[in-house]
Parts: sequence; structure tokens; C-alpha cells
Amino acid sequence: MDFLLSGFIKAIELLISGDSYTWSAVAATLKVSSISMLLSLGAGLPCGFILGYFNFRGKRALRTVLDTLLALPTVFIGLLVYAFISSKGPMGSFNLLFTLTGIAVGQTILAFPIVAAITASIIENIDPGLKLTLISLGAGKRNTILTCLWEVRYGILAAAVTAYGRVLTEVGISMMVGGNIKWHTRTMTTAIALETGKGMFSNGIALGLILILIAFTVNLSLSFLRKK
Amino acid sequence: MMTARNRIFEIRNLAHSYNGRPVLLVDDLAFERGSITGLTGPNGSGKSTLLKLLGFALKPSQGEILFNGRVQVPYSRAVRSKVTLLTQEPYLLKRTVFDNIAYGLKIRNRSADLASHIREALDLVGLDFKEFSQRRWHELSGGEAQRVALAARLVLKPEVLLLDEPTASVDVKSAKLIRNASLQAKNTWGTTLIIASHDWHWLSEISDRQLHIFKGQVVSAGMENIIPGPWAPSDLPGLVERSLGNGAAIKAVPPPTPGMTALINIDHIHFKTCDTHDDSVDENHLTGMVTRLILERKTGDILITLSIHDIQLTFKFPSNTISNLELFPGKTITLCFSARHIEWI
Ligand SMILES: Nc1ncnc2c1ncn2[C@@H]1O[C@H](COP(=O)(O)OP(=O)(O)OP(=O)(O)O)[C@@H](O)[C@H]1O
Ligand SMILES: [Mg+2]
Repeated sequence: MDFLLSGFIKAIELLISGDSYTWSAVAATLKVSSISMLLSLGAGLPCGFILGYFNFRGKRALRTVLDTLLALPTVFIGLLVYAFISSKGPMGSFNLLFTLTGIAVGQTILAFPIVAAITASIIENIDPGLKLTLISLGAGKRNTILTCLWEVRYGILAAAVTAYGRVLTEVGISMMVGGNIKWHTRTMTTAIALETGKGMFSNGIALGLILILIAFTVNLSLSFLRKK
Repeated sequence: MMTARNRIFEIRNLAHSYNGRPVLLVDDLAFERGSITGLTGPNGSGKSTLLKLLGFALKPSQGEILFNGRVQVPYSRAVRSKVTLLTQEPYLLKRTVFDNIAYGLKIRNRSADLASHIREALDLVGLDFKEFSQRRWHELSGGEAQRVALAARLVLKPEVLLLDEPTASVDVKSAKLIRNASLQAKNTWGTTLIIASHDWHWLSEISDRQLHIFKGQVVSAGMENIIPGPWAPSDLPGLVERSLGNGAAIKAVPPPTPGMTALINIDHIHFKTCDTHDDSVDENHLTGMVTRLILERKTGDILITLSIHDIQLTFKFPSNTISNLELFPGKTITLCFSARHIEWI
């Protein structure tokens, strides 16, 4: 177990000394996960709202498709995106393969169903008393919708955090679409996979610690918001 | 007399179903502006449904509801700021008491003097502004939450206030505050009140009219007694009877179709005195124990409820003639009514 302890100590040293290799992976992860979260929230929240709030034909079927997409393995998404953006693929001309943008596209596909499905079920499970109360207080259609959304803000925030957790920790898409290129598309998770393979535990542990720290910060701010 | 002008609500050929199951049928019913209407009826009879429909919070499956002489539907401007419903289980928004009460004013763009309006509304329901206005929605007891919800309606100075069992789950003190506050709304702003409640005392004391809903039908504008079945053929020709144990039974003319519910209007029930000797076969003589005496303030009549086996019957008696009868709860008396006066719905 000695190598774990010494790895841990070395990891702290790396972080404190501002090792540029470690930090470039952190930067890549933050950049790519921010883009994919923006995209998946932008598309997922409205879709989830529509699915949860309105009744229309085919709604059940759509929900089933969405719930199935929740279980998509990241390597499969990686494969799909790879096929589309590789030079032979239909979107090859965009030159997205082995770029952070390419990874972001894959991660958006990963996060979208999570955001949409959780939002839909939150909206669907809104207490019928809420809508009744809003109408009886004189709210119009627009105000009813806006206040309903505001009432479930914590649930939606939790959906975003769940999706962020998935995006932050996935390896398959980053590895396959990004190619794990040093200084460029190497994210924290692909770096950990590589370093561990090489027996360089300290680098892996350092990155792992930061991952945990990010997750912790996100959850902490969520619980702070909740209390306020 | 209710003229067309002072009708605030008019219901026409209303039928409401949930998922195809009919729960409410009201052909024709009007409510007078500034009046207090009491709504009674067993669980599941349709009281809440009627109130939601009158509050334009629910669209009727069929028929129409007129407000101030015009047909209105949910969300229409003419009703939004005027009719408000306090639901059976009050829901508070996830914000402070202050913001809950302010909500209705803000969406009406009446943000001037917000604090003083809210203080006034909290006063009405007996809650201290300083102590409660900054509390969050989950920092209240059930009775306090109910009163905050009422305050959120009162602050709107509504034309119509619909109350769905406002005192059902609160203690005596809260109930009293809620009763006073709703009455005050009527007295100060002329608010029309329609109140569903199981609190008989309260309703008979304050309401101008009581409606009873039974199985989705408004059975009377006066008061009806429901006689639950089962009804069986009687030994007497042309009659059916409801057994009351130990040989006694209520006799009735048979219903047009089996399975209907029997009603007897309270005006058709009489107190049996020694000199009444109507022994025709279709006269019912029922002996039971007095369980409740209520003064109906509007008319000065006394409502007497008699418990006979598993059935409760209520009838009226003018209060000036009651004193020499020495009535008191627990006393055994006999009442009579004709089998021909039983109606079926
Ligand atoms: N949202 C709904 N969906 C389906 N059925 C409903 C719904 N709301 C009420 N019902 C049914 O409609 C009937 C009337 O219900 P309603 O709530 O109006 O009764 P109520 O007189 O208010 O009863 P209670 O005294 O228990 O409050 C009941 O049979 C009930 O089961
Ligand atoms: Mg009810």
C-alpha cells in the first residue's frame, strides 16, 4: 500500500507546485464540460418542460425513448459521434475529430436525456394544488408556467448537477472522440486512465482529488442555494 | 327574490366528469351577490368539484357558468381578479409568508403599499406581521398555513370568496379566526361567500342559504334528509321499507327505478304530539333520541336532529313553540311523516 500513500503525497506536491501538465487536463475538462452543460441545459430544459407540462399524442412513446437514452453507454455515444465526425462521416468537413468541440458534442448527447427526462418528471409531478392555487390567486397562463418553474427550481438544479456529474466523470467519449492528445484534448479522466496504465499513480491521484473537489464544490453550492 | 341583476353566478346544464366518470350534474342554479351559501354533503359528493368550477379553476366537461351575467372560462380576465378559491388542502408557494400574500397583488401590478396591505391581511386572520411575515413556507403549523392561505385571498379584496372546508383541519381557535375573517370580508367589501363545510353549526348560523350535494346533485335549496338503503318490499301493498332493526321500519312509495336514493324534506317531518292520530298505513311514526338542537338565526327556527337506529333525521320547529316541549339532547321523542312524501333521486 506504500505506493498509494507516496502517490498521495506526490499528488499534493503536484497540485501546489502548479504542475502545468496536470492543470492543462483540468482546464480541458472544465472547458469541455461547461460547453456541453450549456448546450444540454439549453435544449433539455425546454424539451423536458414540454414533455412534462403538455399532453399530446405520442408523449408516452417519447418518454420511453428518452428513458432508454438515459442508459446509453458512453463508449457507444463515442462510437456514434466518431462515425459522424470522422473524415469519412457525414459531418467530416467540420474537422471536429480529436477536438474539444467534438468531445462537447458527445457529452451533450450524454447529458441531454438526463436533463430532459428529470425535468419532465419533475414538471409532471408538480402538486396539482400548485396550479389550482395560482389560478385561484389570479395568475394568467404565462404567470402560471413561470411560477410553476420557479417552484421546482431546486429539482431542476438537481437535474443539472446529476447531468454534470455524468459529464465530468465520463471517459469513453473523451477517449474515443478526443483521442487523449497531451496538452490538447487530454481531460482529467483520460489522463487518469493513461497515467494509471503507465503506473504513474501520483498524477492519477492528483487529478482524482481535483475531480472530487469539483464535485464537492458543485454540491456544496447547491445545498447552500437550497438553504437560502 | 333573486333578480337577474343581483345574480353573481348562474350555472346552466352543468355536467362534470373525471376521465369519463360523471361526478357532478347541476341543471340550473344561481347565487346571489353578497350572499353566504353553505355547501354540505358527504365525502366524494362533489363539493370541491363545484367550488373549483365556480372558481374557474376547472373547465366543466359540459354546460356553462355565468359570472355577472356573462359566460366565463378559466383564465378569462373578467374573473381572474374577482373570484378566488381557498382550496381544501391549501398550498403555499415556496417562499416567505410575505411573498405568498404578495403574489396575488404583484401579478395584478398592485405593488404600492405592499407591506401595509399584507399587515392588514395578516391582522384579519390573527397572525402577527412581525412574527410571521418573514417565516418561510415550511416554518408554519397546519393551522397557521391555512390562515396564511386565507390571508393571501383576503388581501385581494375579492368579489367572491370560495372556501373549501376552511376549518376542517384546524383547532377551535384557528377555526374561530377563520370564521371571523371570512365574515368580515362579506361585511366590509360585500364579498359573496360560498363555503363547503361539515361544520353544521357555523353554516346554519351564517348562511342565507344551504345547499346539500349528494352524489353530484344539488338536492335542495332548503334541507333534505337522506335515507340510505337498503330498501326491501314491504308486507303492505304498494310500499317498500327500510328496516330499522327490532321490527321498526320506514315505509315509502317505491322508487321509479331500483337503486335510487330516498330523500325526505325537513318541512314534511312533523313532531308527533299526543293528539295526532293519523294511523293511515302510509304514515311513518319513528321514535328516536334527540342528538342535536340548533338555532337557525335567520328564521328563528330550531333544527332538531333525531337519531333513529342507524339513521339521522332533521326537522324544524319554530322556537317560540318549543319551550313547552322541554326538548333536550338525549330525550326520546316521536316524529311522523308520510310515505308519500319520500322523493327519489
Ligand atoms: N382529479 C380527479 N380525478 C378523478 N376523480 C376525481 C378527481 N377529483 C375528484 N374526483 C372524484 O370526484 C368525486 C367528487 O369529488 P370532490 O372532491 O368534489 O368531493 P367532495 O364533496 O369535495 O368530497 P370531500 O368531502 O371528501 O372533500 C369523487 O368521487 C372523487 O373521487
Ligand atoms: Mg372536497
